[in-house]
Amino acid sequence: MATRLSKIINSWVPENSKVIDFGCGDGSLLKELFENKQVLGYGVEINDLKIEKCIEKGIPVIKLDIDKGLNDFMSSNFDLSIMARSIQCLKNPDLALNRMLDLSKRCVVTLPNLGYWRCRINLASGKMPITPELPSSWYETENIHLCTIKDFENLCLKENISIKDKVFINRSGNQGGLSKINPNLFAVEGVYLLEK
Amino acid sequence: MKIETKLIHFSKGIILESGEKLDSFDLMVETYGDLNENKSNAILLCHAFSGNHHAAGKNDDFGVGWWDQLVGPDKPIDTNKYFVVCCNNLGGCAGSSGPASTNSSSGKVFGKSFPQVSVLDWVNSQKMLMDELNIDYWHFIAGGSLGGMQALQWSISYPDKVKKAGIFAAAAKSSSQNIAMNEVARESIRKDENFHNGDYYEHKVIPKNGIKTARMLGHITYLSEEHMDSRFGRKFQDEGSKVEESVSFEVENYLQYKGEQFSELFDANSYILMTKVMDSYDAGKDKTLVEALKDVKAELLIVGFYSDWLYPPERGKEIQIAAMNNNIKSSFVVLQGDHGHDSFLFNSETYSNLISNFIES
Repeated sequence: MATRLSKIINSWVPENSKVIDFGCGDGSLLKELFENKQVLGYGVEINDLKIEKCIEKGIPVIKLDIDKGLNDFMSSNFDLSIMARSIQCLKNPDLALNRMLDLSKRCVVTLPNLGYWRCRINLASGKMPITPELPSSWYETENIHLCTIKDFENLCLKENISIKDKVFINRSGNQGGLSKINPNLFAVEGVYLLEK
Repeated sequence: MKIETKLIHFSKGIILESGEKLDSFDLMVETYGDLNENKSNAILLCHAFSGNHHAAGKNDDFGVGWWDQLVGPDKPIDTNKYFVVCCNNLGGCAGSSGPASTNSSSGKVFGKSFPQVSVLDWVNSQKMLMDELNIDYWHFIAGGSLGGMQALQWSISYPDKVKKAGIFAAAAKSSSQNIAMNEVARESIRKDENFHNGDYYEHKVIPKNGIKTARMLGHITYLSEEHMDSRFGRKFQDEGSKVEESVSFEVENYLQYKGEQFSELFDANSYILMTKVMDSYDAGKDKTLVEALKDVKAELLIVGFYSDWLYPPERGKEIQIAAMNNNIKSSFVVLQGDHGHDSFLFNSETYSNLISNFIES
């Protein structure tokens, strides 16, 4: 995970909190949070190879298809749930978002911005965007529900989810600059801290 | 691989969960590898329903060990690095005290008078074995099915003695369907004319047909429909290799063969006793499972298999949820598994990587 992104997430995670990371990959972020914030963290992942990596790092992990099984873990109370760069891969991102906020006090969501100018240029030329952040062709991408920064914030509004904090990351991995002025056009990624 | 097999006598006996007492008892134990100097490399393997102390390697009495695919030098449970211990459970019939052993106070075979034991009794007797072997804590305890129940119970009963536990193809309690299947098996044994209400030893007979039928039923529950279809399909058995004249299909012949083989090796009273241990286990008992797990300190690795319909992955998930509610470092992974419930016995790349990564992490 890019250092910038993990720094932002680190700053939002309270010490000794109980965290669940949906789409945790190889467990790197949880490992960082464990070391820096002494969190008790669980990862959720569907890929066996990535699950093996989590176990290797000593990170507790649950093999689960988030689209199917999020309800099962409702009884566990988390301080924070994280969904980094995964929400666009879900069949029902809106339902998942609500579920995450049912099982944790706050949640961190990061998503690639389809409104980013390079994506728009691609679309204007009549093709699906292929950028460094969204490198796959339309037929092989896992991103089935891409949206723009504006779209996502509208969804939060509609679902009565309040945005406690947000950070926009530009192409060089930094905050600020044009991505602060007009994130929907210049941010490649939006990072949100949400509450209900 | 260094293998030692020995019978250990426990002269002070054990008070069982039922309140009954065994004045003394024996455990047949097999160990692999060596305990290191700071005694930090001990692993306990808990066998499933019809398993025994012989987990790895090959010997004349029991052939290849039940977990030989995963236990041995350079295998996921590496006997070059770890001191691995496995015992035949109390009430079994592979050398440890059980219904077929002689009651030292009466000089007669126990038969049906051997007290009913439980998963907790097994764990308590394994704890006595642990003390006998001078082991302070288990780095890892693992088992599949009924063995997984023991690994779970160890974590509950002796939180300071278990660092990591592997609970595979198991459940915190048997389902109504599990109990029902076991009752059919027990009934077939009880209704065998040679059973003599459990005291068949003095009649010098064994209820062979009953055990055979019980095992045939059991065997079906250990496999998946898909596995049986791909292995046997609707193929007919060759005339020349039929074990029973009446069979037509390969699958029938296979069950006949497996049942026959098992009926010569396994004691009928042990069969009944072991199935009752399985049926009666309930980690939560009069509490909820969440409450039952509140003192657990071990890290857990819970593995289920999609092809397992006897203890399906949902049963493992229940343990995982209860563990997470107790802030236990617990992982839950479901693998395909090609062998139904028996999948926990077989090596696969992901399964073995998970186990070795978990042990080493």
